[in-house]
Amino acid sequence: MAHTPTDLSSVRKPVETAQGLPNAHYIDPAVFQEEKQALLFDEWAGLAVASDVPEPGDAVPLEFMGMPLLLLRDKDGAVRVFQNICRHRGMILVEEPRKIEGAIRCAYHSWCYSTKGALVSTPHVGGPGHNTHAAIKRADLGLTEIRSHIWMDVVWINVSGTAPAFEEANADLLERWKEFDKPLYHGGPDSKFTLPVKTNWKLAVENYCESYHLPWVHPGLNSYSRLEDHYHIEQPEKYSGQGTLVYRQLKGHDGQVFPDFAGLSDKWNEAAEYVALYPNVLLGVHRDHAFAIILQPISTDETVEHVHLYYPAPQTDDGMRANNTSLWKSVFEEDIFVVQGMQRGRHAPYFDGGRFSPVMDSPTHCFHSWVAGKVENRRAMAQAAE
Amino acid sequence: MNDLNQRLLAAHGADDRAALVDLYSEAADGANTLDAACFYLTHAYIFALDTGHVAAPALHARLKSHGREE
Repeated sequence: MAHTPTDLSSVRKPVETAQGLPNAHYIDPAVFQEEKQALLFDEWAGLAVASDVPEPGDAVPLEFMGMPLLLLRDKDGAVRVFQNICRHRGMILVEEPRKIEGAIRCAYHSWCYSTKGALVSTPHVGGPGHNTHAAIKRADLGLTEIRSHIWMDVVWINVSGTAPAFEEANADLLERWKEFDKPLYHGGPDSKFTLPVKTNWKLAVENYCESYHLPWVHPGLNSYSRLEDHYHIEQPEKYSGQGTLVYRQLKGHDGQVFPDFAGLSDKWNEAAEYVALYPNVLLGVHRDHAFAIILQPISTDETVEHVHLYYPAPQTDDGMRANNTSLWKSVFEEDIFVVQGMQRGRHAPYFDGGRFSPVMDSPTHCFHSWVAGKVENRRAMAQAAE
Repeated sequence: MNDLNQRLLAAHGADDRAALVDLYSEAADGANTLDAACFYLTHAYIFALDTGHVAAPALHARLKSHGREE
């Protein structure tokens, strides 16, 4: 059903005069679908982490914006993403996380695929006991692979296949954080958790971008990370976030700390940065650990936050790691009432998108402006095609 | 064959795919016609593919020799 496009004209104004995205961008299923294409499928979106499939043959079925996908580490160790359906009748191939011992066999008619996606057998396709047919060209019927890229262990996908190469699209952040371009070791089962939140995924991005809320929502940070110790990070059309100048390392009972990433410059002794890489991945880097939060949009008002913590070494102290997970979990949980409250607030019909603090909200405005620009571009393309 | 049927049903019931490779191979070896043999060989081959069974290449070769596989 056609819907009236939202008016985004005031969103891309300078932050002093701009208004935020209209309510429909948070509560209207039609806009959710519009943004699915413009913001998530046309861009490099975060899907999962490579650590979810640590060994060759590991397979995890996932759903992303309603798409059934299969995250798989092939026999040679490469991480791949496929549509999780058989090319025959569209049957779901893998129902639950498991190890592919040999081939991926469809449970319906047993068409089989290699872990690289090649169609390797089509039993009885030419009649009983006849497994070939001239009309069934296996080379044309492999699994549909979704373009993917791994960076900071995050599996990024570009569903449309039209985005520039990941390194090109995100060259600015790769350069900014090149000192962290080294092996990250997932902390394991105690270093990941999920937070289901009743909010539109964009509100989680918006809240993450800015430090304005820190003294009010995270009062525990005041003692060592005051608002004035933070700075904005803004790369228009790409990413935004915040940095701190007073990062203090977590210490164990005996004063021990996590190891540092090798070769960091002095800047990182007390600095840490938190960036929302558009559209849906929230990243944090510190001298001794990093994290990634992948926002899985479920519906207009449901999102699942998948949180993963990483360290510079494969072995770290179990207790300290658990404490660090607990610390971050408590911080992220403190944000839930805010993102859920803003979501409920989007049902107020006279809300006009809100106004931004020209000083404190510019990273959030940066994100709104990106959203509006991408949506408007997509609308213009659709109009040109008519 | 009746006993083999029972063992096949039991292996299917237990989702014992390694056993299915062996049992369908046995069924193929006892089949009266080439088509029947290739039907069973196909099942043996598919379960071998599924499980990464060592017999998969040999089963593939048998099917291919009869023009039933690529």
